[in-house]
Amino acid sequence: MKNGESLKKIYRVIILLAGVLILGSFSLIQLQKNNLKQYQGQFFDCFDTVTAITGYAGSQEDFSQKMELLRQKLMHYHQLYDIYHTYEGINNIKSINDAAGKNPVKVDKEIIELLKIGKEMYEKTDGKLQIVYGSVLSLWHEYRERGMENPKQAQLPPKEELIRRAGHTDIGKLILNEQASTVYLADEEMSLDVGSIGKGYAVQRLAEYAREIGMEHVLISVGGNVCAVGTKADQTPWLVGVENPDLDSSEPYVCVIELANQSAVTSGDYQRYYEVDHTRYCHIIDPDTNMPPEYFSSVTVKTDDSGMADALSTSLFNMEYEAGRTLVEGLPGVEAMWIGKDGEIRCSSGFEYNEKK
Amino acid sequence: MKKNDVILVVALALLSLAVFGGIKLYSGFSTREPEAVIYLDGEEKGRYSLSHNITLEIRQDHGAYNIFEIKNGKAKITEASCPDKVCVNHRPVSGQGESLVCLPNRVVVEIENGEKLDIDAETN
Repeated sequence: MKNGESLKKIYRVIILLAGVLILGSFSLIQLQKNNLKQYQGQFFDCFDTVTAITGYAGSQEDFSQKMELLRQKLMHYHQLYDIYHTYEGINNIKSINDAAGKNPVKVDKEIIELLKIGKEMYEKTDGKLQIVYGSVLSLWHEYRERGMENPKQAQLPPKEELIRRAGHTDIGKLILNEQASTVYLADEEMSLDVGSIGKGYAVQRLAEYAREIGMEHVLISVGGNVCAVGTKADQTPWLVGVENPDLDSSEPYVCVIELANQSAVTSGDYQRYYEVDHTRYCHIIDPDTNMPPEYFSSVTVKTDDSGMADALSTSLFNMEYEAGRTLVEGLPGVEAMWIGKDGEIRCSSGFEYNEKK
Repeated sequence: MKKNDVILVVALALLSLAVFGGIKLYSGFSTREPEAVIYLDGEEKGRYSLSHNITLEIRQDHGAYNIFEIKNGKAKITEASCPDKVCVNHRPVSGQGESLVCLPNRVVVEIENGEKLDIDAETN
């Protein structure tokens, strides 16, 4: 019977070891989870909006370092595409505007690249995306700021002045010289405003940079211009809510879309606007009417490239649904969702989303 | 395997479950109640529990102001001196990590210990 006794002992030891293993693996799982944690950070000094970054790192310190690198990169684009300020040692969009009608300005090739895209998109959208529309946009900007400061005296820009200024928006007078890396505006009253494409282009470059510095799973949001680098760390897609344009509604978003290596950008009339005689006038202006368009509350575009998404969301916001739909269906890999003034939701054929639970 | 061995196995399994459950429960208990944290120029100025209604004015020396409100468990900026009013045109927030931002006035309100959101970001 001695043999049986020792066998029993061995059994016991094995079972005990198994128990320790089970326990150990539970705590290991816990530890591993802590090893690569999800962090979120924000900064406020780029493109006049909030930048939120969600990513993974071994420690808060590690994540903060990466955040700072991303901030510096985005700041570079912010300065290049700024139309209001000049920066020492940098020729930016404002430098080009200041030299309108006088001389070509030598600029960074990332400005040339952006303006080339602007010209291409002008063709693709039949002029609904207009980057040399600064003279008209600045007038609206002026009236909007004054109107918001003093809502009772809010006014619309005079029609005649809008029309006069619209006479100085000929994109043919935007002269790019790629070899010399110069830009020239051949009309001294013309000016560039890249608000509809600059941020999106910058976010795309930022996403590529994030990969270069070893971030393979990141979600970047620059003022709602959202770009997903990879998936989440667990290989599932990032979930992005499309904000409900009805701010009084208790539903914060109308649907949730999934992003992995894609971008989503929304143009809407509910965040930046002013009111004249109880009518809302938003910050997006249709180059064909020189007035804010009244087709939609918002348009969301989802596609691989953030610059494309940004440019298209503005263009579609300026277009009637049918024309926009035709444009989107003709562009491979581009999907869109239109939310009407009455809350009606329409989507392109391949736009997939999850209903709000 | 003898009866005692079975008991041992069951006991070990129960023990590991208890430890695992204990960890989960502990982390559940240790979460604090949701609050809104107000930052001015990146510096924390105050924290307010979302469970008490409150209205207060965040006033700065040069005359800039934001009226901050907690109502029914949600934080909102109802009025502001800023030129763009983007902070006012923002729905009330209560979810973990959500924020209200007034860039011109350098005011940020951030939710801590809020309910977990089922999205990672928002496009607007």
